[in-house]
Amino acid sequence: MHGRKTGRWSRLILMMLIGPALLPPGASAQYRAKDTEWPSYAADLAGTRYRPLDQINASNFNELEIAWRIKTDNFGNRPEYKLEGTPLMVNGVLYATAGSRRAVIALDAATGELLWVHGEREGARGGAAPRQLSGRGLAYWSDGKEERIFYVTPGYRLMCLNAKTGMPFTSFGNSGALDLKLDDDQTIFPDLTTGEIGIQSAPIVAKDTVIVGAAFREGMTPKSMKNNKGYVRGFDVRTGKRLWIFHTIPKKGEFGYDTWLKDSAEYTGNTGVWTQITVDVQFGLVYLPVESPTSDYYGGHRPGNNLFGESLVCVDLKTGQRKWHFQLVHHPLWDMDISSAPILADIVVDGKPIKAVAQPSKQGFLYVFDRITGRPVWPIEEQKVEVGSVPGEWYSPTQPIPAKPPAYSRNGVSIDDLIDFSPELREQANVIVSKYHLGPVFTPPVASKVDGPLGTLTLGTASGGTNWPGGSYDPETHIVYAYACNACVEPIGLVPAPKNVSDLNFIAGVAGQEVGIMRGPGENAGADSPMPPKKASGGGFTRLNVDDLPLIKPPYGTITAINLDEGKILWQIAHGETPDVVRNYPGFKGMNIARTGQQTYNIGTLVTKSLVIAGEGQVTTTADHPRGAMLRAYDKATGKEVGAVYMPAPQSGSPMTYMVNGKQYIVVAVSGGPYSGEYIAYTLPSAGE
Amino acid sequence: MAIAAGDRVLRAQEQTQADSRSVWDGVYTEEQAKRGVALYQKECKTCHGDALAGGESAPPLTGGAFLANWNGLTLGDLFERIRKTMPQNAPGKLNRQQNADILAFVLSANKFPAGKTELSRQAEFLKEIRFEAVRPEPKK
Repeated sequence: MHGRKTGRWSRLILMMLIGPALLPPGASAQYRAKDTEWPSYAADLAGTRYRPLDQINASNFNELEIAWRIKTDNFGNRPEYKLEGTPLMVNGVLYATAGSRRAVIALDAATGELLWVHGEREGARGGAAPRQLSGRGLAYWSDGKEERIFYVTPGYRLMCLNAKTGMPFTSFGNSGALDLKLDDDQTIFPDLTTGEIGIQSAPIVAKDTVIVGAAFREGMTPKSMKNNKGYVRGFDVRTGKRLWIFHTIPKKGEFGYDTWLKDSAEYTGNTGVWTQITVDVQFGLVYLPVESPTSDYYGGHRPGNNLFGESLVCVDLKTGQRKWHFQLVHHPLWDMDISSAPILADIVVDGKPIKAVAQPSKQGFLYVFDRITGRPVWPIEEQKVEVGSVPGEWYSPTQPIPAKPPAYSRNGVSIDDLIDFSPELREQANVIVSKYHLGPVFTPPVASKVDGPLGTLTLGTASGGTNWPGGSYDPETHIVYAYACNACVEPIGLVPAPKNVSDLNFIAGVAGQEVGIMRGPGENAGADSPMPPKKASGGGFTRLNVDDLPLIKPPYGTITAINLDEGKILWQIAHGETPDVVRNYPGFKGMNIARTGQQTYNIGTLVTKSLVIAGEGQVTTTADHPRGAMLRAYDKATGKEVGAVYMPAPQSGSPMTYMVNGKQYIVVAVSGGPYSGEYIAYTLPSAGE
Repeated sequence: MAIAAGDRVLRAQEQTQADSRSVWDGVYTEEQAKRGVALYQKECKTCHGDALAGGESAPPLTGGAFLANWNGLTLGDLFERIRKTMPQNAPGKLNRQQNADILAFVLSANKFPAGKTELSRQAEFLKEIRFEAVRPEPKK
């Protein structure tokens, strides 16, 4: 452990580099982050994914070697192929979630040696969890004496472990575990084992409070209009006592209850905070990015604006009381969950310093507010949008659209967005989209018809724009870096649901196809839901690519640098090697196609003193490397690529960085396709190698 | 039976590249793919999508990203991945025949040609079939 002297030194360095705003003056005894460590999922409580380290820089990035690596296959009962974790590093120890039952591992941060592992066997409750596998991360707390690790299991229990040993702290909750399905101001139905509620993201620890949200199944074909609700709670880090709860769906008498007409707040659920929460410790404010209410695409059973669905809500760290909120989408119909951390940024706009919060989104808007008052920094105006005609639906006639900064990724679909390498390919794309309804952002879903429209074709919805990895922020230059999928097209069509499939009038589907049966919680080998009568099935469906080429033209995936002082885009680049199918397309021989980027939704960026670092989400095989993906580094001022190193599989978790014994490391989770999950640590070669 | 299968595998390994099979050689039947459609709708569609385009919870099963993931490997690799880890919340729920039928449907969705023989449900035979994203040059 560190003596008092070291603590003071590192506090001094931190204050000089990052500025006083992030450090509470004269605060209670609390762990002070060093800039060589990564003590929080997103580096710090402001969600910056930034560290002022520069040992690894443009001059040597290409020389990075693998320092150590660890597969997560054996930390659960089967290998996992979707390793999404961002590890933490404190005091020379790396902590991460790993394996199919979301165990926690502690490794020597310099060598990768396993120090301890802790896994919870949750049986049927784990098997029924809506969000499985190893999840996205964990949280660390220390008062300078004790060190604790917090994480939420698939079965929705908040665990508190001794960071030195991995043993549960018996004084926390019930022998180190807090059953989050209890004490939630609701009775989780149908029972505690199979009741649908869980979470994948890391809890957040601020001062002596640990805060946890909630997640549910994918909401496109829900079984019912009724579901458990995703409230947010703060607990005491030492005892697990519940300190506060925020009702993301208001109870009767609470503000916002009247935005749910026909008593729909009584039975509607979801509306949780499943992604990363951020905290301004100095002002004691918590920023909650809220998801969609039950039934992503059909809201006929929840008429009204539905507060606080798809809203950014600011609550008090001590009491959970709402301070302000802003709803990004009224009466959500596009699965525009707020998908990532609200980034806390101290900026200067027109000469005025503003303590701001910047929210990246799937719809490609970066919403910027004064984080103390909730006032938008630049105008966000209600604009008229197309009103749909799905039977029974309720529509908001307007939606808020920010004036600045400009959208950084595509939302809405027009003919101009389609593949245009050649007139023939464009013509094929025209034929495909002729079966769909097109329009700008907030074009409503349609009832699917066999003769068309099959649905509304959308960008900037379910897997568009910025998703759970979120953006990064450079507090020195006031620039947000946001990865976005610019070509992740999603058709949204609605079909009537048979009564034995769902009690909703409409769920997502395609006319002429058998209606999808929602997999219920706890369903396992041998247990089957009743099947609807078989329709004569030709198996026909519309492929949303043209000869395997993406339907939408490049760039497929981008990284954008947005200057928050000016509300302007500084630069934007295509991130990711052009996919094999495009590079090798016979018809493109001789054409010089600029790098297109890749069509993946889940890429996180890391910002350092000079670089923006992100790996590719797709596998390619090129003249420069065998089948694999590249971890790329860009000059953060210009977006110019300055280096790339090989990864055996796509980046599936967000990269992080730290220094130990004077050496800087970058750790990233890779997995996908045939390659099971692995954490890989890169570092510069030692002198003499 | 075991010996004959072993012989066949050995012989397959001795064959030259030009003689071994790939997904372009008609390695499943239309009838099998039809059975696969029904299974896909029931077991796979909620995550992998109506058009196999994937989404937040699952990757696409057609298109460039899918082809790149498996290019150069074998159908045995893809089959085992499905058999052991899918569906995600109940892996191993489906039997080998069902998995083979679903794989046949996925191949048909990717426009690989159908043929006269069904896709085997045994991994050792599926390992003999190369997954090639691009149709190989015709033999001279």
